Amino acid sequence: MNIEIEQQNNYQVVKLYGEVDLSNSRSIKLDIIKLIKSKNNVIVDFTHLQYIDSSGMASLVEAFNEAKENHTEFHIVGANGSPLQVLQLTRLNTVFNLADSVGAVTHNG
Amino acid sequence: MTALFNAISNLGAATRKNIDSLGLATMFLLRIVSSLFTGLVSFKQVLKQIYFIGNRSLIVIIVAALFTGMVVALQFYDTLVRFGSVDLLGSAVALSLIKELGPVMTALMLIARVGSATCSEIGIMRNEQQFDALDCMAINSYRYVMLPRLLAALICVPILTAVFDLVGISGGYIVGVHIQGENPGAYIQGVLDTISFKDVLVGQIKSLVFGLFIMWIPLYYGFYLHLNQKNMGAEGVSNGTTQAVVMSAIIMLFSDYIVSSLAL
Amino acid sequence: MVKPIITVEHLFAQYGDTQVLKDVNLEVNPGEILVVMGGSGSGKSTLLNHMLGLKTPVSGTIMIDGVNIFTAKSKQLRHLRQKMGVAFQGGALLSSLTVADNVRLPLEQNTSLDTQTIDIMVRMKLELMNMAGTGHMMPSELSGGMLKRAGLARAVIMDPKLLFFDEPSAGLDPTTAVELDELILTLRDAMNMTIVVVTHELESVFKIADRVVVLFNGEVVANGTVDEIKNSPDERIQNMINRQPNTYRDDGEVYFNRLLDKDNI
Repeated sequence: MNIEIEQQNNYQVVKLYGEVDLSNSRSIKLDIIKLIKSKNNVIVDFTHLQYIDSSGMASLVEAFNEAKENHTEFHIVGANGSPLQVLQLTRLNTVFNLADSVGAVTHNG
Repeated sequence: MTALFNAISNLGAATRKNIDSLGLATMFLLRIVSSLFTGLVSFKQVLKQIYFIGNRSLIVIIVAALFTGMVVALQFYDTLVRFGSVDLLGSAVALSLIKELGPVMTALMLIARVGSATCSEIGIMRNEQQFDALDCMAINSYRYVMLPRLLAALICVPILTAVFDLVGISGGYIVGVHIQGENPGAYIQGVLDTISFKDVLVGQIKSLVFGLFIMWIPLYYGFYLHLNQKNMGAEGVSNGTTQAVVMSAIIMLFSDYIVSSLAL
Repeated sequence: MVKPIITVEHLFAQYGDTQVLKDVNLEVNPGEILVVMGGSGSGKSTLLNHMLGLKTPVSGTIMIDGVNIFTAKSKQLRHLRQKMGVAFQGGALLSSLTVADNVRLPLEQNTSLDTQTIDIMVRMKLELMNMAGTGHMMPSELSGGMLKRAGLARAVIMDPKLLFFDEPSAGLDPTTAVELDELILTLRDAMNMTIVVVTHELESVFKIADRVVVLFNGEVVANGTVDEIKNSPDERIQNMINRQPNTYRDDGEVYFNRLLDKDNI
């Protein structure tokens, strides 16, 4: 699992590559929450994410909550394949504001 | 003739079966003890069990102790008065309670309360495949279910025995002093003079040994309920519990003799 | 051809003196739903117990995800078991814990996730099972259907690779049974789970199975797709499908004698 963080406009884009599961979900959560606590708007890019499990989803829910409390933005973009199915199965696609790509968010923001 | 041969072979089979059971029970205990070294036992679980064994038995133990102490004092008084040695009442009551009646009566009360409840609980867990579920979740049932109960028993039984002793001696005081009118000073002095540290130690060691049996035996009977095919279901749990209680009591009394004779 | 994720080879099992499984061979491919079907006494529950490593056979091997479960070291077996979820017949919840604490248990014992993360995961799984808000209840307060669903929530809480069901529809009303079937299919599709279902409920079998293994008296009598099973020439299978009892072909005389036989009680 690789994670790349880069700045685009006034968003921090967190690109996830590979798989998020029990072995790394906690550390990813802590990274994202650190960004949020520093008052950053965060976009989590699922484009290259192949698999995410419930611990990963729960971690993102926690991050989303943190963003709400910090009054910053939190988006998930580019979900496809298995991660998209999981978002639909857990009905989290109704919770997060899913967008197709980073561009879709930054151009509207 | 056949009847005789049958009787002998049945005896042989029963003996083999009992040795098998003894071996299985010992392996069972060893697994519980060794699980102590596989990881941290849940402190929360141990506390929960201490509450169940200790706190909830307290009233029963106190009531039993009071009446035991009173009746012991009554009986001793009756005998001692014939020899004109009534000032020995305190010593007599205290010695018999601390060395013998305290540990044994406490153990019996707990076998009835805790032993039967534990065997039923574990037996039902076995029936409902809860141990299978724990195995499949890669959770060590010995560490998660058995060990907290064993540790709690080893902690609570000596303490409850001490409570029994104190309340019993007080019960004796009530009978000796307030009912029979003996000298309070003589009673208390008798207690303090005669009781040695060794007496108390032996009593506590007994209660520790009893504590082991009180928990080990019901756990064993409940856990291995399914080995006897006829033992499944509610009737099986009830059978197993009865066996566990009876066996616990017998083994407790047997070990009582062993410890007593080793101590003298 | 993808390698099977479960292989059972030449499995022989005994209860005391009775042969319960005779030379059972089967394979489960990754991502498929295999149904093990058979009447009572066919040995299907025994087969499941062996696959879960709860019983050891007289002879035979079972490989799961590359691990020989009967010879594996305990650490290896532990690691494997964390990738397996089991939904037992009565739920097999721990009676002294609440529903939520039961579902939470595998995560608490086997991972180092934060409590808040675990709480959210537990709620997510209960929502999935239509059990939202029941977390505080004790198993003794639940109906049979709810017990099964709570047990299933616990079985999938770690998103296992392999899921085993022991008689999922037993004791459920038709509506709940259908919902459960849908859930099984969803778990295979969305979570890519390999699922082994032991059952005797025909409707479920035809609806969810990718492949079916039929057991009769401890032997595998059929192993194929649903269509292959439906068209099987084996009379016992046809009887099972058509719900006919296997009729005895004794003549009247033999039957009459059996009725009067003092030892036949």
